[in-house]
Amino acid sequence: MTSRRFSLCAVACFSIAAAASARPVSYPGGWTVMQRNTGDFSSLHLHYSPTFQDSVGAYVEQNWADDYTFAGAQYNRLLRRWNAPGSQANLYLNLGAGYAESFDGSEQDLAGFAGLAADWETRRYFLSYQARAYDLGFDQSARQAARAGIAPYIGDFGDLHTWLMVEVENVPEAETPVTVTPLVRFFYGVQLVEIGYTPETERFMANWIVRF
Amino acid sequence: MLKAAMTALALSAMATPLALAEAPATEEAASATLLTAKVNGMVCDFCAQAVTAMFGKDEAVDGIHVDLDSGEIHVMLKAGASMSDARVEELVTKSGYDLVEVSRVPA
Repeated sequence: MTSRRFSLCAVACFSIAAAASARPVSYPGGWTVMQRNTGDFSSLHLHYSPTFQDSVGAYVEQNWADDYTFAGAQYNRLLRRWNAPGSQANLYLNLGAGYAESFDGSEQDLAGFAGLAADWETRRYFLSYQARAYDLGFDQSARQAARAGIAPYIGDFGDLHTWLMVEVENVPEAETPVTVTPLVRFFYGVQLVEIGYTPETERFMANWIVRF
Repeated sequence: MLKAAMTALALSAMATPLALAEAPATEEAASATLLTAKVNGMVCDFCAQAVTAMFGKDEAVDGIHVDLDSGEIHVMLKAGASMSDARVEELVTKSGYDLVEVSRVPA
């Protein structure tokens, strides 16, 4: 096993948790597009779910904070779901493998990431936590985020749903390691949009998810 | 319009005698027109879309209405079509949720 392979496995093994967005799996035969812009990075994840427990697809990330691009494949696994009357909780694993290159082209290498994500949701309250660790070959990084949300009103299926949320993110090696981002989530039909602002970094968050 | 009709049917289902609502999955019960599945874990529109897509693939299904408030899936079956409890459970489970109970209302 090469040192790179070993380090990727180590990243997978030691990653602790993460995924503050929406669920990375859909129903059997479902496709999902997830687009995120946090200020630190922009990403696009397109995935297909052969079962409600798995999804596989492509993931591309432009990391503005660390000046690199990652492109590769991503696999998501629903490790466990707890269904209860009026609530649902989930535990997910995310694995990615691909290629990374610095913006100036001076560094490029095989790369990968691993993460865990957990969430708990009712129609009124939302909690989530996610962590992800990257090994880019020429650099390693990690980030984790937690979210809490409340729906100011309860809509029926098909209505516009609104969530008020706060996300706390920790990127240990960042210039501002801990940031707090208030955001609003709009959920209508098959589309989910999130808009937030991070005062510490003076950056906007804009996320979009569509499922079909 | 279909949603309104199914909601009305769902309400009428609540008013049916208990013996009807708790009828076992016999051949007679399986030929009913309106089926209600009580489900755990449905909390958002993505959940509702999942069960709508899964039930919508079954040829016996004519229409679906998801009530997130009650955690119920109301399924209108085509005339003469049937759906067993096992099939309902399969579709609910494949959608990612847990079936609690199934009830039917004759046409």
